[in-house]
Amino acid sequence: MTARTRASVLIFPLAALFAGPSPAAEDATLLKDLTSVIMLLGLPCGQVVSAKRQADNDHIASCKNGYRYRVFVNPEGRVVAQKQ
Amino acid sequence: MRTIAILVLGLAACTGVKEAPPSVPPQAEPVVVAPPAAVAAPPAAVVAPAAVVASPAAAPPQPATTGKETVATAPVAGATAPSKDEAAKPAPPPVKAPAKAAAPSVPTEPSRKDPAPSPVAKAQEPPLDVAALTARLRDTKAIGTFTKLALKNQVDDLLGQFRAHYQSGRKTGIDSLRQPYNMLILKVLSLLQDSDPALARTISASREAIWSVLADPEKFNSLT
Repeated sequence: MTARTRASVLIFPLAALFAGPSPAAEDATLLKDLTSVIMLLGLPCGQVVSAKRQADNDHIASCKNGYRYRVFVNPEGRVVAQKQ
Repeated sequence: MRTIAILVLGLAACTGVKEAPPSVPPQAEPVVVAPPAAVAAPPAAVVAPAAVVASPAAAPPQPATTGKETVATAPVAGATAPSKDEAAKPAPPPVKAPAKAAAPSVPTEPSRKDPAPSPVAKAQEPPLDVAALTARLRDTKAIGTFTKLALKNQVDDLLGQFRAHYQSGRKTGIDSLRQPYNMLILKVLSLLQDSDPALARTISASREAIWSVLADPEKFNSLT
């Protein structure tokens, strides 16, 4: 077995493991949080299906109904959801 | 080949352990960021809303006696009115149910040392103190960071309405704030009922006690 083969045998399983689910879990938590916030603010959304982080505490949330909101914390410390 | 296989399996086991930390930080960060300020205020707000949800199941246990006990704080409540307790015993069934449900969460709480309080202690839980409720709300993972902050904002707004009402000098009309209070309680309960039902039941069982504090100018001032 060549060195290259050995390396690939080690690298591929590791890559598969490290590319694991933690990001997905994080996403699920964030999506649920954004969904709750938008609901709490009384805005139509249904469920947030994806989110794009723009900065700390600043995300663009895409809802199941097609709406998009920018959810962020303003300088006064209030959570705001702005329809895009 | 055997050596390689052993290496791979060993590394795989190690990576499994390492995966946990990455996922943990995300939650911890959000909590740390906004919570400090949000947590302090939300508790009070949360307290008020809880009562509304309880109406279905906890409504019976919400007699005026429990509210008074709550106001007097848990420790004092027990000694204040034994006769009322007897009168309230018919209603206990519903009260005990929520208390037992809340028991499972108790072990997880670091602050509470008694994992299985006696029935009497459970009966005193409804009059829970605001600090404990605040801590549980702050620590619960059922609500995300953004949501906790938004809740805090809404609680602050409601408390501001109460403050404005009392500062206006009017001694009537406080009932007009009951609806927003109930709405806020419902929101909190809807957020908690699936992921932290024990806390939801506790809040629900405390809704009248919380309202009694908010609706009393002196108690409200002492709270804020």
